Amino acid sequence: MTSERPLEALRAAVGDRAVVEHEPVAVDGVSLTATFRPGSGEELAAGLRVLSQQGMAALVCGGGTRLCQGNRLRRADLALEVTGLDGVLELDAEDGVVHVRAGTEIAVLRALVRAEGWELPLDPPGDGTSVGGALASAAIGPRFAQPRQIVLGLEVVLASGARTRCGGRVVKNVTGYDLAKLYTGSFGSLGVIEAAWLRLRPLPERSLFLAAALPEGAEGFERALTAARRPSARVAALVDRALGAAIDPATAREGSVLLLELAGDESLVKADRRNLVERTGAREVDEVMVERLRSVQAGIFHPGGLRFRISSLPSRVGEVAQRLARDGGAVLAYPARGLLYARFPVGLASDEGAVAAAERSARLAADAGGGGFVIEDAPDWAKQGRDVFGDPGPLLPLFRELKRQYDPKGVLNPGRFAGHL
Amino acid sequence: MPAADLVTSLRGIVGDAACLVRPEDLFVYEADGLTLHRARPRAVVLPREKAEVAPIVRTCRTFGVPFVARGAGTGLSGGALALDGGVVIECARMNRILEVNPQDRYAVVQPGVINAELSKAVAPHGLFYAPDPSSQAACTIGGNIAENSGGAHTLKYGTTTDHVLALEVVLPDGESVSFGSRTGWTAGYDLVGAFIGSEGTLGVVTEATVRLTPLPEAVETLLAVFPDVFSACRSVGAIIGAGLVPAALEVIDQRTIAAVEASVYAAGLPTDAGAMLLIELDGPSLAVAREVERVRGLLSRSGASRVEVACDERERQQFWRARKGAFGAMGRLAPDLYLYDTVVPRVRLPEVLGRICEIGDRYRLRLSNVFHAGDGNLHPIISFDRRDRGEMERVLAAGEEILRVCVEAGGVLSGEHGIGNEKQKFMGLLFGEDDLDAMRRLRAAFDPDGICNPGKVLPTPGACVEAGAVKRHA
Repeated sequence: MTSERPLEALRAAVGDRAVVEHEPVAVDGVSLTATFRPGSGEELAAGLRVLSQQGMAALVCGGGTRLCQGNRLRRADLALEVTGLDGVLELDAEDGVVHVRAGTEIAVLRALVRAEGWELPLDPPGDGTSVGGALASAAIGPRFAQPRQIVLGLEVVLASGARTRCGGRVVKNVTGYDLAKLYTGSFGSLGVIEAAWLRLRPLPERSLFLAAALPEGAEGFERALTAARRPSARVAALVDRALGAAIDPATAREGSVLLLELAGDESLVKADRRNLVERTGAREVDEVMVERLRSVQAGIFHPGGLRFRISSLPSRVGEVAQRLARDGGAVLAYPARGLLYARFPVGLASDEGAVAAAERSARLAADAGGGGFVIEDAPDWAKQGRDVFGDPGPLLPLFRELKRQYDPKGVLNPGRFAGHL
Repeated sequence: MPAADLVTSLRGIVGDAACLVRPEDLFVYEADGLTLHRARPRAVVLPREKAEVAPIVRTCRTFGVPFVARGAGTGLSGGALALDGGVVIECARMNRILEVNPQDRYAVVQPGVINAELSKAVAPHGLFYAPDPSSQAACTIGGNIAENSGGAHTLKYGTTTDHVLALEVVLPDGESVSFGSRTGWTAGYDLVGAFIGSEGTLGVVTEATVRLTPLPEAVETLLAVFPDVFSACRSVGAIIGAGLVPAALEVIDQRTIAAVEASVYAAGLPTDAGAMLLIELDGPSLAVAREVERVRGLLSRSGASRVEVACDERERQQFWRARKGAFGAMGRLAPDLYLYDTVVPRVRLPEVLGRICEIGDRYRLRLSNVFHAGDGNLHPIISFDRRDRGEMERVLAAGEEILRVCVEAGGVLSGEHGIGNEKQKFMGLLFGEDDLDAMRRLRAAFDPDGICNPGKVLPTPGACVEAGAVKRHA
């Protein structure tokens, strides 16, 4: 609940327009009745200063597409939504870099840079995902590597209201600490991203999509990894038949579905296509398959349940996937990236036993793969008493100290990040 | 407490022979590759095993003595100097490659492994370690991690931070911890990312898991001759604008060509050329063959008077000798060298280069330019004589002006050499007090007592040169 006085103080600082009261919205069992939606960096800073002074806490969000991720909020007096900070500040079409405000929708930015001959290397699931939200949650999609690799610089407003920046617009930079790495993936726990400099990629000369039915089991994974390491392969996902039916039903009837995107130099793409058609019996499919894959990754086809993101050494992805499948998980694997998603069904009522069993399965599978896991989606009741990021172990004191340095009063997303920070 | 007690404790950990205290032994640790700055450490310890590092750090804490880790000492910003009578922890003896996993493409190494040695060791598996700083024959992986080292091929392959998966670190409080994972995915704060490039101020690396990259199937190297450095830079823009990502794009200016050709590094370059551009394309043969043709076309259209493609490895090495010999060639002109390191947005290169040359001329300095044009990373080199006090002052004044010009053009203070104790007073040119305060918070979280490589990276509050607040040099 929001008491009147702090909201008045916020309004006095940022104006009435930026603060909206509304019907209660429940997030993780916390009822939010007000949203602060700054229209400028100055407003964001002024608002955070007030929140800090008033001892208030905020749920920080962008497009709101990843509210399922992270731990339960410990408390929140209002939502702080950055979608009002939108637009491209500068697009340098010769250098291939873009300076964009955090609230800009990824789909909008993608279209803008594409028109200038560049590709935005961010493709997380969720149509309304904002640039700031994608970076704060280190969101990934089927195509591209982790966002940390494309962030050149960030402007971040700290909980105190201090507007700061780190990095810059150039692609090579060791001027001071690489704070952009620290903020990226920190779920807004250290500061609110106001804008970012991102490195773009040249549009590929040619791209095409292939689907192949592979045998279930170890052999399928070995062949998928070999295919994924073809020079022009950039999407390479293997899904079991059940999930595959939601992507490419025809292929799923014959086995696990390997979905590939080949992109780059035209002659290379053609050569790889020839190779893969011969070796895997792949056939060309429409780009819509990748959209479906993204939806499967986001669990859109199967809302509810528990979704895990599991990492593994590439050579052990098959073993990890088979363990998860044996325990009842539906599995999507990116073999070359050493990344898997697994969904386990749980009932609507509090079935702690099912959650614990699924968690144990994910842990054992991740151990077998030499990696780790996070819970990406879970019913509110299942999150209680659980750290969805896993146990930070000996790093917890350092995590706590970082949180204390950047957000000593716990204004930003209290409780949501690893270690319930 | 007297220093003898500290030394006795350190010797108890590493043995007498691995703890140096005699002035003649400490002499070589007074400076790194930036010889202008010197500071004599109180002692130098040379651990062989990671288990020795935490006790060394704890001992330094007990005696309230700062410490700094050092790799091969090839850094160019004074980062490995032990200020305030500190202890140097020299990691060069921790030089074993502990594991190579060709299937999953990673290696686990001790921090003292030499960069080029790692690539050599994994080459039989068809792999290499991508970051390739110019000093790669001597510099260590630990030092590369501290500095986030780049190299000539970062345009395509990225810098050290893109190639480190996990770290074992002794924190300034003496605790050993692990960041990251072999898979490259981790939950929680990205401490690997925050640590890399922290110039030894957040702890001491004792083990690193690094990514290995498949060796490219084909490599083609081209050398193009231009009437002037500006047209060379424009052609760089044309290549990148066309969507090509060469492995390297290096510009060598006329002054450097003249110096190289007058030296033992002579590579048969045309001394009447205004500038040369070295282009390296690598990847699958099919793609590289087509890229060579596209690049040739772009080069001619942007004014190249001649384009040569290396016909074999010998010729390729010869092209690179022209680039890599620049430092040595300039070095024979005078007793000392000063190598600047700044980055500007690629599109501003021609304009900024013009201003840098003007600054060099105005200060009557022997200044030449050889640089990583693809990522806008400039390396003006000045050969000078430090015994000539007037010249020394002109070198430093010119350096400051060059930094200002680069920052005004949207650039930064360092692309790959780091801030160290060379540029910390200039951090205010780029960052405001709130920005620097955010960096101090990271450091405070790791090292609240300021015992780990103090006096580096961040300026002392208030001692910063701010934009527009520094006197102009005539």
